[in-house]
Amino acid sequence: MIEGWTLATIVLMGSVTYLTRIGGYLLLGDRELSARTMTILEAAPGCVLIAVIAPAFVSGRTSDLIALAITAAAAVRLSLLPTVLIGISSAGLLRHMLG
Amino acid sequence: MAIHFAHICSANDGKSLAMTTIITDQKGEFARGLRASAPVLLGLVPAALVLGAQATAKNMAPLAVPLMTGLNFAGGSEFAAIGLWTSPPHLLLIVGVTLLVNSRHLVMGATLAPWLRQLPRRQVLPALFLMVDESWALALADAKARRTEKSESAFSLRYFLGVSAGLYVCWVGFTALGALLGPVLGDIERWGFDMAFPAVFLVLLRGMWKGFGAAIPWLVSLLIAAGVCLTLPGGWYVPAGAIAGIAVAWMRSRP
Repeated sequence: MIEGWTLATIVLMGSVTYLTRIGGYLLLGDRELSARTMTILEAAPGCVLIAVIAPAFVSGRTSDLIALAITAAAAVRLSLLPTVLIGISSAGLLRHMLG
Repeated sequence: MAIHFAHICSANDGKSLAMTTIITDQKGEFARGLRASAPVLLGLVPAALVLGAQATAKNMAPLAVPLMTGLNFAGGSEFAAIGLWTSPPHLLLIVGVTLLVNSRHLVMGATLAPWLRQLPRRQVLPALFLMVDESWALALADAKARRTEKSESAFSLRYFLGVSAGLYVCWVGFTALGALLGPVLGDIERWGFDMAFPAVFLVLLRGMWKGFGAAIPWLVSLLIAAGVCLTLPGGWYVPAGAIAGIAVAWMRSRP
């Protein structure tokens, strides 16, 4: 069974996401955007993504910080799948070794 | 890159694009899109299993997982939602973060719009439900390639739907499987699976990289979010960090 509050959260998540998908097509498509608007729209997704993963940078665990550095180095060079595998295995191994 | 496409498209006459629309072998187009989704699935399936397992670790009901991934269908925001998930969930925070993470769809939709002018809205609006980073990128690249052949229409909706169908079925299916397998995997943090989440986002950030100057707002977001995370309880570090970075981007873009 799905609890009511969970259901409401999920339905609202889906609704706002759908609005972002059709919003650009409906509102921005026919208009010329200023260079300034575009600069801000370009920076925004990265700001959000890095804010979401910020806790990993301040976990205070040595094993996690080393694993994060290894994962970041992998992300610069490799595609999604190998980076994810390196991230998981380095974090798993370092936690076992360093506790 | 997104801006680049937008300028190319808007320079083109929308009507001439519409005139060249030819709906060719529709079944073939769908299958071509489905095949194009295959390499993307290699990265998507493990990420889906991890997401499902993380959801179970956060005590989310197994049935709620495919419901979320099926209705929302945007991986980044789902990882963020699971990261912030509590029982019961903090509705406003999760919906707000979902909106922020998916705000990039607005830009993606805007760049796609000139290619979609030839199609009726009653077809475009349902199809856009399936727009994700990968299907957007593949369909746009395909449309550009086909336009230079000058024989056929540019944007193939069936191709886009084929790519999307492959991604959708696997995403919903494997997140559900991950939710069921979660208890078998046990304490996923011990195995390092939680690091999949920063890993996915770091690769996405690499894809958005436009030099150190453009990354200054990101650094501000990281610092503010980290500071708030250490001082305030709950998930408020996400909006705090995101808004701080966007404010810096706004100030830096002042002419």
